[in-house]
Amino acid sequence: MDVNWAQVLFNSAITGSLYLLGAVGLTLTYGLSSFPNFAHAEFITLGAFLGYTIGTQLGLGLPIALVVTFFTAGLVGLLCYRGIFQPLAKRGATIIHLMVASIALSFILRYSMGAIWSWKPYYFASSWAAFDVGPLRVTGLWLWLIAIAVGLAIVMHLGLVKTRMGKAIRATSSNPDLALASGININKVILITWFVGAGLAAVAGIFRGADTQIWPLTGWDIILPIFAVTILGGIGNFYGAIASAFIIGLAENFGVVGLMALGLSTSYRLGISFVILIITLIVKPQGLAMFFRRA
Amino acid sequence: MDLLLYGLDLLVFIGIFGILAISLNLEFGFSGLANFGKVAFFLIGAYTYALLSQIGLPFYLCLISGALVAAIFGLLISLPALRLRADYLAIVVLAFGEILRLIVKSEAWLAGGDWGLSVSPAISITGVSPRVDLLVNIALVFSCLLICFVVAQLLSNSPYGRVIRAIREDEVAAEALGKNRARYKVQIFMLGSAMAGVAGGLYAQYLQAIVPMLFLPIITFTIWIMVLVGGPANNWGVLVGAALVEVFERGANIAKDYIALPIDPSNLQYILFGVLILLVLFYRPQGLFKEIPIKTRALEAVRHAREQIKGEGG
Repeated sequence: MDVNWAQVLFNSAITGSLYLLGAVGLTLTYGLSSFPNFAHAEFITLGAFLGYTIGTQLGLGLPIALVVTFFTAGLVGLLCYRGIFQPLAKRGATIIHLMVASIALSFILRYSMGAIWSWKPYYFASSWAAFDVGPLRVTGLWLWLIAIAVGLAIVMHLGLVKTRMGKAIRATSSNPDLALASGININKVILITWFVGAGLAAVAGIFRGADTQIWPLTGWDIILPIFAVTILGGIGNFYGAIASAFIIGLAENFGVVGLMALGLSTSYRLGISFVILIITLIVKPQGLAMFFRRA
Repeated sequence: MDLLLYGLDLLVFIGIFGILAISLNLEFGFSGLANFGKVAFFLIGAYTYALLSQIGLPFYLCLISGALVAAIFGLLISLPALRLRADYLAIVVLAFGEILRLIVKSEAWLAGGDWGLSVSPAISITGVSPRVDLLVNIALVFSCLLICFVVAQLLSNSPYGRVIRAIREDEVAAEALGKNRARYKVQIFMLGSAMAGVAGGLYAQYLQAIVPMLFLPIITFTIWIMVLVGGPANNWGVLVGAALVEVFERGANIAKDYIALPIDPSNLQYILFGVLILLVLFYRPQGLFKEIPIKTRALEAVRHAREQIKGEGG
């Protein structure tokens, strides 16, 4: 079998970028609110639909679609937290109740989107010109995705280290009680995290939708790798998420080559994330968090 | 449409989902285990039944094997996560369900792929009307339900049941009293999975054909609704919950044909399910039927003595 290894590496970077954008919100809200939000997948789906409507149906193009989608989905994420999870937590809901609530929310969002946009898959109309760079086949869409993911990593890093808000986020994430006692408005910190997290998930959704198809399960289709990134990176750990997103990107793309060599179905690429998830839990449930300072 | 047939068919479904609700109640209601992948064990039971019945095993052996295989998978999959927080188990089991569906979809040589498998009915009497056939099925399903119910009821009111409730309330305290929490959790998880396996077998032989599409995560969610609405840690309650949810689903299916709605009823049904869950979590987390407090002779004696002391003191 002839494998273009450079292309496999490049594809890993694409997959990693996508998973980073998708998982950042999940890991940060998971760390701050201490429950996994299963409805995070629906933020990704929402992004795909909004991106389709704005970018293709209204014909406004990718950049405007990205910005509008980010803010709209961010608002939805914030409202979900304010309307459902915060009041539930105040009523003393257990972590299981919060997880069940997130599944309930996920069904409400998914089937509402099914009602609005129907279950028939859509495809982005704009076809991206592919061009060759050395041995690589590249499209503009993929370059956008990688640029946004790298930009996000740099902006988030600077934001977390340099700004007051970033410091407040790190403080709240490592010890909410102490943060509160130090006069940090942890409520604001949590709300901003939910906003940004849902917005970034939606941006990931646009790229996922452009790469595959747009339908109510666009987000659910990648919920497994997103959770694997979160657990492998260490819950609530931004730097861990960056590392694990690219590790899982590599594992998936090289794994697919392996699956083809073994003559197995390539739909098992989801299984690779599952295996990584299980191994992490057995070997080191904290994930890669020990290699990075908490953020 | 034969109304009686429809009612009997509904009863079979209530019985099968009653078993699933009882098993989730053991895990979540009594032991605080968040099994978000119930459908995985349901699938294992169904496919085990189908494969074994194809090689000609009698139906009771197929059912028992389904339960055993489901229990073994329950053990394997829960081991890495059970010693960790509740959320890890939820994520792992949910992922397991998705992977399992992927496997039965991809491995056409084993599980028939998208076309699924055909299954022969457990008990087939030649030349009887469909009504009698359904009655036989109801008898089979409800005997299994009865066994599961009695096991769950006896277990939850035994010393064992008090230990698992103690672990649910405070793991550390239970561990401090010398109870090995991981072992209890694994045992309950295996038992719950075995029951789900039986339910899967019954489902396969009743439908006489299974496809991967039958085992979507929505099944897990439906069972959670049954337990949450009926009342976690109350076995009678979750049976009522199972019946209510099944009747609601049927009702929605019938209403679909008669009422014109601005949105597609199949979407609306799941939106309503989600809203219902949120309402229950907000306003009645204990469900319709509350958990019955533990009663033992020793506890009664203590309560009695306490009241006497209070009486004398006052």
